[in-house]
Amino acid sequence: MATINRKWTDGMLHTEDWWAVWLGLLMFLAGLFTIWGVDLVGWMTKTKTWEWGKFWSDPSFNQLLAAAHGKAGKAYEGLGGFGSLLATYIVFTVLTCIGAYFQKLDVKKFFLGFTCIFFITWAAWIIGHEAHFKALKTGQSITQSEIYGDNVFCTTKVNKCSAQINKALKGMGIDVMAGQDPTKEQAAAAVAKSKNSIRMSWGLQLGGGFSYMLALAVGLIIGNLFKGFANFLREGAKPEWFIKTAIVYLGIKLGLMSMKAAGFALELALAGAAACFVAYLLFWPIVYWMGRKLFKLRRDASAVLSSGISICGVSASIATAGAIRAKPILPIAVSMLIVVFAMIELVVLPTFYAAVAPDAPIVNGAAMGMTVKTDGADAAAGAILDEMMVANHYRTTGETWEADWILSAAILTKIWIDVFIGVWAFVLALIWVYKVERKPDQQHVGASEIWFRFPKFVIGYFIAWLTYVAIAVWFPDAIKAASSGAGVVQSPMRKMMFMLTFVAIGVITDFGKLKGMGRLTALYAIALFAVIAPIAYFVAWIFHRGMVPPTVAG
Amino acid sequence: MKADVEMHLVHDGEQWIARGGTVVAVGETLHEVDEGVTHALRDSGAFPLGSSVTVFMGFDFDTIPTWLRQYHTHYFNRYITVNL
Repeated sequence: MATINRKWTDGMLHTEDWWAVWLGLLMFLAGLFTIWGVDLVGWMTKTKTWEWGKFWSDPSFNQLLAAAHGKAGKAYEGLGGFGSLLATYIVFTVLTCIGAYFQKLDVKKFFLGFTCIFFITWAAWIIGHEAHFKALKTGQSITQSEIYGDNVFCTTKVNKCSAQINKALKGMGIDVMAGQDPTKEQAAAAVAKSKNSIRMSWGLQLGGGFSYMLALAVGLIIGNLFKGFANFLREGAKPEWFIKTAIVYLGIKLGLMSMKAAGFALELALAGAAACFVAYLLFWPIVYWMGRKLFKLRRDASAVLSSGISICGVSASIATAGAIRAKPILPIAVSMLIVVFAMIELVVLPTFYAAVAPDAPIVNGAAMGMTVKTDGADAAAGAILDEMMVANHYRTTGETWEADWILSAAILTKIWIDVFIGVWAFVLALIWVYKVERKPDQQHVGASEIWFRFPKFVIGYFIAWLTYVAIAVWFPDAIKAASSGAGVVQSPMRKMMFMLTFVAIGVITDFGKLKGMGRLTALYAIALFAVIAPIAYFVAWIFHRGMVPPTVAG
Repeated sequence: MKADVEMHLVHDGEQWIARGGTVVAVGETLHEVDEGVTHALRDSGAFPLGSSVTVFMGFDFDTIPTWLRQYHTHYFNRYITVNL
């Protein structure tokens, strides 16, 4: 049976975009139940930072994983690390297989592919949480290493470790906050008392970013060196579905962050919208002109490529091709190019931005959102950038930026771009029908086209965000209880969807597909790195300069 | 928008194919398809000659490769008015 968008409700059961909304809102609603003291999401497993020497002396899943429940979900404690992993696997496999069935995917292949990707993901995530890779030094080890030693690392958030050490010292009668310094012996005793501080001879201090990079590397190795296995996984490798679901969960995080910093969140959203609007007006005409004049591409090829490079990647190239009634082979070819280049951007840009502009976190995030095509690659790049910059800033200054603001900047700009594509494609369709093909009396372009091209996951994102803002405004007494369930959905659950995206995006990226795409590849590379990236950075700087994430109290 | 005739549209790699009920029209360009639809409707006798007929053509998104469908969910719909 054909899939045609005719009514506004079409696609609600059949597209991954809508399924991201359903999966996202289902867990969002489940998370809200903690307001009434019922924890429906506490079974979700979460990673723990572990140290291999300690692990081998007493190997146990409980050293690696734990149920993520809050106060209302103490009953989940009995699941332990392995039980919660199993519960997570069962819940998400059942839900995604139901989604796969309605999306007309091969459910058996999806189930097998998803199962493999799920366990590869968790293996990469657990390895990435080994303390030598992940753990950061405590604040004391950075600023007062002559007293505490420079080898004290923290297996949780660094401000917590610092507070634990200070509390232990206070118990010994030394008030560090009042300016008293301990002796080396007292400091050593306090470190030993802090349950999340460990001494290690070395540590890479990569934060959570190492897990992301590892998952991506594993996915890319499979996608490019084990192509038979990659084909086996392909039905279950749905990075766009996974990341859109994660973005709905991120709406909860933004809601929680807005409770603490409403003005900053609003400023970020508005600046992102303005930056995207300006960037749009610059990107598209420049790349279209380059395609036509410098690379002698046909009008339709140039338009599709311009949208793909300068707007939102694959989605934009399909939307534009449809709007100008191009043959479907054109966006398919362009999309192959975009997917591969998005991966190159994902690998290169976070490291580059973090190294070149370590003091411009939000500018970097917003520039990422305007430069990296495809939602999956952008969110993934934003997540790596966030982890990298927060860790780097802490290492160099001892000050901790609140996590996820840089990621939010990357996602907010991308979301505005995604929203605009429907309008832009509609405008292009009007231009094509009434000016290029010149058949205004014979054809009609329906405004419904805007809705059909609207990214539906954005609805879930805003519902989640605004609900938590509403709770903060109208039911402030419920914030604490609401945060408990929200914390599970927006943290381990969201990060799992990110991790699944990293593996899946690697699996479907085959660099070999660049062969034989000659002129298109050259134009794409030149436009991206010589036009899009510099302009995006400049526009991001104009609208976001001076913005830094709030700091976490020590 | 209401249409007198509902058709779905695909592209087989070489040409556009529009189908709706017993009406089938094929062409390398959409203009050729539109001409084919006009002829087919005229031949079908379903509408009086000289009448103006609104035809809806919705692109069948199932013909887009599976791996690509996760990025976008719509290609295009079009309405044409044919004078028989």
